[in-house]
Amino acid sequence: MNSFKLSIVFGLIIASNLFASNVEKSLYIISDSIQTVDSVSVPYLSFNEEDVYSKESPIISINSGDTLKVWVYNLDSIIHNFAVLDFSDTFIIPAGDSVYLEQVFMDEGLYIYHDPLNYPKNTYLGLAGMIVVNDLDVQNFYWNIKEHNAQWNSDLVNNLDVDWGNYDPKYFTINGNSNPHINADSSARIIGSVGETLYLNIANTGLSIHSMHFHGYHAEIMYSSAHANHVGRIKDTFPVYPMETLVLKIEPHQPGEYPIHDHNLVAITGNNIYPNGMFTTILITP
Amino acid sequence: MKQLFYILFFVLNLNARAQDQTTFIFSKMDIEAQHILWDDTPTMLMGFTAMMSASIDIPGPTLTYFEGDSVELKLRNMSQGTSHTIHLHGLDVDQQNDGVPHLSFEVGHNETESYFFRAPHPGTYLYHCHVTSALHVQAGMYGLLIVKPNTGINETWEDGFTFDSEQAWMTSELDLAWHEDSIINHPHDTTTMEFHLPDYNPDYFLVNGRSEQQLSEEGISIIASANEVILLRLANIGYYGNTYRFPMHLNARIISSDGRPLPDIEFSDSLTIMPGERYQVLLQSTYVFEDDIEIEYFNLNTLSTTNTQLVPVSISGYFSQVENQVDKIKLYPNPSSNNVIFSNEIDCIKLFDSKGRLLLTKHHSDRIDISELAKGIYLLNLDSETKTIIKN
Repeated sequence: MNSFKLSIVFGLIIASNLFASNVEKSLYIISDSIQTVDSVSVPYLSFNEEDVYSKESPIISINSGDTLKVWVYNLDSIIHNFAVLDFSDTFIIPAGDSVYLEQVFMDEGLYIYHDPLNYPKNTYLGLAGMIVVNDLDVQNFYWNIKEHNAQWNSDLVNNLDVDWGNYDPKYFTINGNSNPHINADSSARIIGSVGETLYLNIANTGLSIHSMHFHGYHAEIMYSSAHANHVGRIKDTFPVYPMETLVLKIEPHQPGEYPIHDHNLVAITGNNIYPNGMFTTILITP
Repeated sequence: MKQLFYILFFVLNLNARAQDQTTFIFSKMDIEAQHILWDDTPTMLMGFTAMMSASIDIPGPTLTYFEGDSVELKLRNMSQGTSHTIHLHGLDVDQQNDGVPHLSFEVGHNETESYFFRAPHPGTYLYHCHVTSALHVQAGMYGLLIVKPNTGINETWEDGFTFDSEQAWMTSELDLAWHEDSIINHPHDTTTMEFHLPDYNPDYFLVNGRSEQQLSEEGISIIASANEVILLRLANIGYYGNTYRFPMHLNARIISSDGRPLPDIEFSDSLTIMPGERYQVLLQSTYVFEDDIEIEYFNLNTLSTTNTQLVPVSISGYFSQVENQVDKIKLYPNPSSNNVIFSNEIDCIKLFDSKGRLLLTKHHSDRIDISELAKGIYLLNLDSETKTIIKN
């Protein structure tokens, strides 16, 4: 390689590093509760950006090439683990202790960070969030979808056994909310205009398969953590498997307000009441 | 009778290409349990019919249009007080015609309203009621909607794949508890969308509303010739997942989903279809064989398979050979309940059931008596030519 080519290579490396940055985050594991759509209080855990409880684990959004530097603090009274699914090592965090993770994310995609200890127990109880690696200047929306059986949450936090093979959830949520409260969540409710490019980032941190159907629009699969061969498909119904992440691109061609919901129509219920489950609407202006 | 409805609808809708189409459909509800399941259990349905006097069947009539058709779909609600709608699943119609209560209009009892849309991309779609949808879909208010390309009815889409024959399977489940009069015949309260539903524990696992031995009797099974290209349209309107397992010899090619071609065709002997999804698959065997297509129904929460249905596949004769000999021997009537008459005397007639078992041999005759046979599909070997007949 002559000196001219060498200088170009060094130049490219320096240029790429100019755009990459360090993203520092803190996550606090806190045990508390979540309110169901019918106001039942259910034991729950979450990661939090501060040492104050919020039911929904934070969305960490970075660019490709960025280095994510995360301190995870265990404010619970029992041991927890921390890992980025299929990406990082697993870190053990004793009660009251903390761990530090430094990880470079080179590729665009959608990743799940969670507590894999006694899987699926701690993940099911709420300890799962998403890392979005996306360089596009587009409007993004985020769905952390999951389900609950309220009795199971109580049993699990009391160290009682549950039969995972007979899972029968009664509440179905997007970012911890069920219909009609999902539309009040600005990160979940898709709002845009005709011709705009909208991205929906979906992480299924529950135990069930959800089959999300769009009225009004088809969307393109831009990323799938479980089915790479599905990328590029244009569909109106999108299965999301447990612990799968999916990125969809929507380019609305018409205005209107249209439902998006699980087409396992049982999942539109909340404690058997229709339509108090995974049901929201997309709102597109002309 | 159900086949007659399909034929009528097909004829009514195929009379021209890319033009104005008006289709009538009726929403109804059984007064008493009259739909008979595979084990002779009667059950009540809500559903759509093509004629006012027709009994409800599941799925409802298949609506077929050509790409670009301007469609007026008129819904006459004949049910017992409950409003209904038609959601045109996957057609991406405008909000007014999307069939969702509170976002568009409902069709009240004894009312008639119209949905207007233009048939979009060729493919396989659904329609279903979206009022208290979890209940009304389970009750039977669903059907297939097929959009064919303008270039020709035996092409998947313009410059797509050609095929020789096609079949459509719509899978679902049925939970008898949801079909009890106290549930299905619910009072309609226009002031609230909320409705209390039972737990869902399906008892029956259906292909086109049929299961078990009905999958042979009702003409759902695949009867084809080697080299024949079959377009199989698959749709899941149930609340369970389906995994199809195709016999290796069918050389399954998965070509499209949800009304759009796949970027890359997949060659696979298995295909999983979740609630609301549709897929189109091409099947073509170079072998003569008999087998089953397995359809596993699995619970989306436990991820465990609850039931498996087997749809018979019978590949006999060779498509090009049959095609060349089509004019040599004609038979009528078909379907028939008594005699099937041939256009000329046959030296050797052999009758087989769908499993390939020889039932009868007859020589030097121009007819065969099938009055003693059970209803179903049979194969006739007429000298060197193979024909399929239906006993009704």
